[in-house]
Amino acid sequence: MHGAAQARKYRLQGAGLDLALPYLMLAPGLMIVLGVLVYPLWDGLRASTKIYRYGSPVADAGFQNYLRLWSDAQFLNSLWVTVKFVALSVSLEAVLGFALALFCLREFRGIRLLRTVLIVPMVITPVVVAILFRLIYASDAGMLTVLSEAMGGGEVQILGNPLNAFIGLVVLDVWEWTPLMFLILLAGLQSLPHEPFEAARVDGAGAWRVFADLTFPMMRPVLAVAIVLRTIDAFGTFDQVFVLTRGGPGEATRLISIYGYDTAFKFQQTGYAAALFVTIGLVVLALAFSAIRLLRRIDAS
Amino acid sequence: MTHSSRLTRRSVIKGGLGLALATTALTTLGLPMAARAAGKKVIIGAFTDGGLTPFKQKIIPQAKEAGFDVEFLEDEYGVTLEKWFADAQSGAGQYDLYLLDDPWVPQFGAANVLEDLGAGGIDGSDKDWIGSMIDMGYWPPQQGPRVKGFEDAKPTLICVPFVGDLQTLTYRNDVFTGGAPKTWDEVIAKGKEGVAAGTIKYPVVFRGVSGNPIVTSWYPIFLSFGGSFFDDKWNPIFNSAEGKASADFFVGTMKQNAPSGVVEFDSDQEGAAILGGEAGVIIQYSGNALKADDPAQTKVAGKLDFGVVPKQEKAIAQMGIFIAGVPKSAPNKANAIEFLKWYTSAETQAKLSEAGSIPVKRSAFGVAKPGNRLIPVALQQLDAGALPRPRTPDWAKVEELLGIELNKALQAGSGGGAALDTAAKQVKDYLTTAGYY
Repeated sequence: MHGAAQARKYRLQGAGLDLALPYLMLAPGLMIVLGVLVYPLWDGLRASTKIYRYGSPVADAGFQNYLRLWSDAQFLNSLWVTVKFVALSVSLEAVLGFALALFCLREFRGIRLLRTVLIVPMVITPVVVAILFRLIYASDAGMLTVLSEAMGGGEVQILGNPLNAFIGLVVLDVWEWTPLMFLILLAGLQSLPHEPFEAARVDGAGAWRVFADLTFPMMRPVLAVAIVLRTIDAFGTFDQVFVLTRGGPGEATRLISIYGYDTAFKFQQTGYAAALFVTIGLVVLALAFSAIRLLRRIDAS
Repeated sequence: MTHSSRLTRRSVIKGGLGLALATTALTTLGLPMAARAAGKKVIIGAFTDGGLTPFKQKIIPQAKEAGFDVEFLEDEYGVTLEKWFADAQSGAGQYDLYLLDDPWVPQFGAANVLEDLGAGGIDGSDKDWIGSMIDMGYWPPQQGPRVKGFEDAKPTLICVPFVGDLQTLTYRNDVFTGGAPKTWDEVIAKGKEGVAAGTIKYPVVFRGVSGNPIVTSWYPIFLSFGGSFFDDKWNPIFNSAEGKASADFFVGTMKQNAPSGVVEFDSDQEGAAILGGEAGVIIQYSGNALKADDPAQTKVAGKLDFGVVPKQEKAIAQMGIFIAGVPKSAPNKANAIEFLKWYTSAETQAKLSEAGSIPVKRSAFGVAKPGNRLIPVALQQLDAGALPRPRTPDWAKVEELLGIELNKALQAGSGGGAALDTAAKQVKDYLTTAGYY
């Protein structure tokens, strides 16, 4: 009797160990995910429901910080500037990136060098890119002014004019990030099956027909992925604006990232800034989910 | 406000005891004084600014001779506040001293993260201090309105002035041949003559970038027109008739006599304009002014002189001193306090003056050979009038709101008064949200 009970106990222990082992093996990874992903998110959410004064939480705010956002003219302005910036720059990057990818799909002498050169802007640190563009845009001694004066013109006003500064920022972003679009789309184009294109050629289809009926429809999922990735990334644009314009002149280039940064660190409204970033995070998340649904529809069709 | 004297005393006693033991041990071993001195480590955090060059070049070596092992860590101005505030709040203990910009004192003071230096033995009542400078080291302020929650708190010395920076006028002596222009009208009139003669390109250059830069440039003009920023209940009154007149002059007349791109100018472009020989006058802090006699830094060495800022009603500059605070989390707190006592002594301040930096003790202005022509002018300016920015932890936001509106008016070249009305309403709304009233 004693022996049987002992054996049963050992069997149960063994079974328990078998059951627990996968969880034990997963535990370190789970702890890391909790520590580096879940905890900061939870902490940010918690901070967004507090009123901070002088760097410390002093009262519970509930949803007050979230509601306050929608009557904050500076927040609404920076949101609008960000939406305009993202829409314009990502659209331009998609069109230019696609055009460059189509051009570089062909094989000719020097194409490898060209493909390498085209991705150089993307690998330069954003802060350095901003400094480079400041040297171009500065009205007193910038390259554009120097060129203009050499041709008998006057000073070129980019950073001191709201519209020009905004366009200048879009140009900088397009210069820096079109290569990413180009790289993704080129990889997509190179992975397309050859047969439909050969068949179209045999049927005598022209270049535009091939693009409209074959290339573009087959590339839509890749294009959608590239646009989604860049859109998410563009919402977080910070370094370039911080160095180039700090959001000015006035509030013309004040992206949401700059306003959030100032709110959190310069004005030390930690709770309000947390609510701002949670809101923007939700907007970007909604965009990402919409894009995924769109991709599924494209795949289905 | 809680006082930290218990911690300070304990750390001072611990430090002193440690030092006594170390001294005894080292003396017994027969080691030289320099080796003993190397133990007094002080980690100083500073933001990059030309105003600290004499301190870095001349005073740090002397501090080392005096036995301090100084580690000097610099950061870009824009990121310093957030970095230090996080360091102080989290108690990370990365620094022994912060060389703060003076408007940050209320933020650190209200957060209660700096040591009580008075309890550490630094005498804030010493008559040798420049009064307007040492006043900035107290939180809550000894005079003027106080923000809610600090109405009845005892003013505590949490920072001591480190480098006495303030705005003064730099002008071209070949344009303003009779000495520094006394009024703004003279700046414009004689500046135009200088432009007509081909000596300069612009009568005046200033900082026009949104936020802190444009407000800093406008502030002495605002003060000189007789403006006041807040009343004693924190109601914005900067949009008074005097304030509006100053803003209209700033975005109108001054812009018309400045480079067309002045809207995007910050201190680097402003400095380049005066050092490159293009501008007739600028109002600036000492960082660029210290370069005025260096032929490697300026094309017009010998043609730049300094003076008190021009007046309309009065001639009042903005104070912007470097001011030192010891975080409660400082790893070498006792050393930091000892270093401050050494640094702010009349002897070391005299050496700072000889090194070319504006001192913070009045006796040091009287040294036989000040290292820079700016130093006696700085004393003239202090005596003529120099005011700090309003002492509220929310100054950064107030400055931002005002700076955006002033920048928009500057873009338009008119509407300065209306910009102040808009900003005053925004500031009032913001301070209401922040619980000021």
